[in-house]
Amino acid sequence: IERLLHMSVFSQSFSPCGKFLAAGNNYGEIALFSLSAALGPDANELSQKPILTFTAHEGPVFSLLSTDSHLLSAGNGEISAWSWAELIKKCLCALPPSLRSSLEIPEINAMALNPADNSLAVGGGDNNVHIMDLENGAFKSVLQGHTDYIHCLSVRERASEVLSGGEDGAVRIWDTRTSQCVHCVEVYKYETCARPQHGKWISCLTTDSDWMLCGGGPSLSLWHLRSMSPTSVFPLSGCQRQATFYQDMILTVGEGQCVSHCLMGGEVKAQIPCTPHSINTLAINTNSTEHRVLTVGGSSDHIDVFTNLSYKAFSLRF
Amino acid sequence: MGAVTDDEVIRKRLLIDGDGAGDDRRINVLLKSFTKWCNSPATPEEGFTQHQRMHGTLAQCEFSMLKTLMVYDMNIREMENYEKIYSNIEENITSAHEKISECKKEIQRAKRIRKNRQEYDALAKVIQQHPDRHETLKQLEALDKELQQLSDIKENVDAKLELRKKQFHVLLSTIQELQQTLDKLPCHFPLDDDKLETDGNNQESPMENGE
Repeated sequence: IERLLHMSVFSQSFSPCGKFLAAGNNYGEIALFSLSAALGPDANELSQKPILTFTAHEGPVFSLLSTDSHLLSAGNGEISAWSWAELIKKCLCALPPSLRSSLEIPEINAMALNPADNSLAVGGGDNNVHIMDLENGAFKSVLQGHTDYIHCLSVRERASEVLSGGEDGAVRIWDTRTSQCVHCVEVYKYETCARPQHGKWISCLTTDSDWMLCGGGPSLSLWHLRSMSPTSVFPLSGCQRQATFYQDMILTVGEGQCVSHCLMGGEVKAQIPCTPHSINTLAINTNSTEHRVLTVGGSSDHIDVFTNLSYKAFSLRF
Repeated sequence: MGAVTDDEVIRKRLLIDGDGAGDDRRINVLLKSFTKWCNSPATPEEGFTQHQRMHGTLAQCEFSMLKTLMVYDMNIREMENYEKIYSNIEENITSAHEKISECKKEIQRAKRIRKNRQEYDALAKVIQQHPDRHETLKQLEALDKELQQLSDIKENVDAKLELRKKQFHVLLSTIQELQQTLDKLPCHFPLDDDKLETDGNNQESPMENGE
């Protein structure tokens, strides 16, 4: 019971078929939940428990990512790839990952997939972004430039660029082809965004090819990438840990016990309460139309599931 | 299966028979009375009454038959009516479904439009913060003019400075030469009186002025 009390969910990922959710917590475990069972008409308490739980890494699982066939999990220094087909078949016994990365990267905080050249960008505690080719698992290049560890990564597909945000407060934009830093924006230096009382670190970053959302110590702000200028600043009190663009809104989670819905103009439209006190991860299931849900996980062993964005439907438990 | 349907059949027949117990019995009675009437050696009056009675029963039977026929017709027409209503409702359902999907598409489009509008607004806000282009151009022009004026003034001043320099240079060199000539003068003094007078006139005035 105590274990459940101290559990924090750090990362989530949906399966490529959209029917399963994998969640990683601070004990290094990954739990697989069946969405079709939990959302089905005969859902009961049992269907809100994981269908499979296994220990993936020794340290906390900070980042989970799904490709078309594999689930990539980042642990303390290593990246493991698990085949979704095997996971769904619940092969519990001695589940070795299909692939383990060759390079030891300390404390991987974020991973981002670049579908254009089938590569994975990995941000870690060694202040660098490593680009790994997914076909052979070899590391192609290293993007150096940050002066402190990297919190979050995002891929800008249209321009084939990778954005990285780190503890040093800088958002760097790298060109994947030349591996050079194209831009460096120090968000805390802009008066409209800066919140010196919280610090200068950037913990959440997402991009929409023309626009970028970044936040953390400084307030969550919307930036126009072409002109590199902040267009709106969102008046949210806590530090935001994850944000995403959804249709015409921006959904963001962080220190408050709620999911904030914001409009691009800078106003906060709604704040929906949920179970965890401090939320680490937000994920929207875009892989399936009938299980299109929003799931939120944080400093609790409950993962809230929203079928309609306006209210919490139920919770999955570890 | 056969047993079930048999039961059903028996039940149905019982029902029908129960309903039309009067009818069935009437027909049987009619038949019996007809045979009795045919075979009875009774008086013509009795026979006539019997005959009338049989007609009455026959009429009754016909009447009930007509009634059942009408009911049957009515049922058929009601069925058709219901079928029509049913297909109508089905059509409505499908058209409502289509409308729903149309509306959903509309919503998506509207959301996209709203997102674009907001992006536009956000950019417009940033652009508004920057000063107007006309104004900046005007300011630039004014500054250019000022710059031009100032450089003209500078040129003038430079030219004047040059001129003065040259004039002073000429003056100073003339003074120098004069000084030199004056220094040479004492040796020539006892000899050239005329020359001194002419020179002295020229020299005394500036020397007196100097003292």
